[in-house]
Amino acid sequence: MLDVRRISTSRWWHKKKSWFFFGIFVFLVFVRISKGSFYKDFYYFISKPFWPGQFQKELILKSIDQESLVKLNLLKKDNVRLRKILSLQESSSKENISAAVISRKTGGWWRQIILNKGSKDGVEIGNIVIGPGGLLGRVNDTSLFTSSVTLITSPESKLGVWVDRIQINGLLVGLGDDLPSLILYSKDADIKVGDFVSSSPASTLLPPNIPIGIVQSIDKTLKSKKTAKILLLAKPQVIDWVQILKVNI
Amino acid sequence: MNKLFTKKSSIFCFIFIPIIFLWHPNWLGFLGVQPYWPLFWLLPWSMINGSMNGLIFGLFLGLILDSLTLDNNFTQIPGLILCGILFGRIKLHSDILVGHFRHGLICSFGSFLCGTLYFLQILFRNFSDLSFLLFIPALKNILAEVFLTGLFAPFICSQLLIIFKFSKRKLH
Repeated sequence: MLDVRRISTSRWWHKKKSWFFFGIFVFLVFVRISKGSFYKDFYYFISKPFWPGQFQKELILKSIDQESLVKLNLLKKDNVRLRKILSLQESSSKENISAAVISRKTGGWWRQIILNKGSKDGVEIGNIVIGPGGLLGRVNDTSLFTSSVTLITSPESKLGVWVDRIQINGLLVGLGDDLPSLILYSKDADIKVGDFVSSSPASTLLPPNIPIGIVQSIDKTLKSKKTAKILLLAKPQVIDWVQILKVNI
Repeated sequence: MNKLFTKKSSIFCFIFIPIIFLWHPNWLGFLGVQPYWPLFWLLPWSMINGSMNGLIFGLFLGLILDSLTLDNNFTQIPGLILCGILFGRIKLHSDILVGHFRHGLICSFGSFLCGTLYFLQILFRNFSDLSFLLFIPALKNILAEVFLTGLFAPFICSQLLIIFKFSKRKLH
């Protein structure tokens, strides 16, 4: 009786080895069905460090950067030359003054920043202040050591701006809110969310082509006017260092 | 020196207002708006010295703050003068706890008054070109200011009131 039991326990499905081979078989079937994608992915990770062109890519990106820098400089020069010929305002100024923000009021009604450079350093009323991102505001007052800047968001501020995509001039009005409003004096101006707003070539206050912001939302049309909220590119509440552009307009 | 300081403490605090107005500590703000600092000084000063003094120092405060802010078209003077006169008519209260709450409420009301007057100026200025409707979102500035001023007034005003009273008693 004992012998019979032993025989019955040694069937093929009781052997580890046969299950092992069965596992391999299933795996190979899977590989066959997936057309070897597993192998290919595995190879992808193994061979990654030895791929050609990693270094090459960096080199190419670097040369693209250099190329665009050179192009930018050439275009800048070209722009200045053409503007001189047409006797337009100059967009690039010779003198920039770097200044630190020593006081900022960016909420509420009063929206201004005070900079640590004043008339002693050659800052004049009407100079343009830009920060990382674009236009911040205009110098409205200078003392010997400081200068105060009215931000674009201040209810005092009204600037001529240019919407490049639809080639139209508008008025940027500060509201005492974080998002100033763009007013277009044309009912059927085709303005869209995401349009880029820069300073207007026709403005008498600003040099042309300084980035300002992006259209965030468009309001209802009011009596032959279109208004839109503008999200500013430069954030005055976090910027610590700014540049004062001395522009002769 | 110490005696001088206690005698003139109200004046020292007065000098401190424009500095804190310029300092604009962001961590105290709400929606980027600050409490309306000059009221914290104006309330105890007017309560002790009466309407006339309130009016005069409201004017002074307005002049100083207007010179600090760049807005040439809008002024804070009318609001502050009105607050100075109103605050001067308020009697001192003996109950300290009630006093705290009263200061909070009065200061919120004052900041509401100042904020509204300022907002009306902006509206009036832009009334002509029909874009004044755009300025409606700026109302949140008033609300945030009223809230913050009411919140901080019980702490600051009560302290200043005690200091000013003390210095005045010393003078006589």
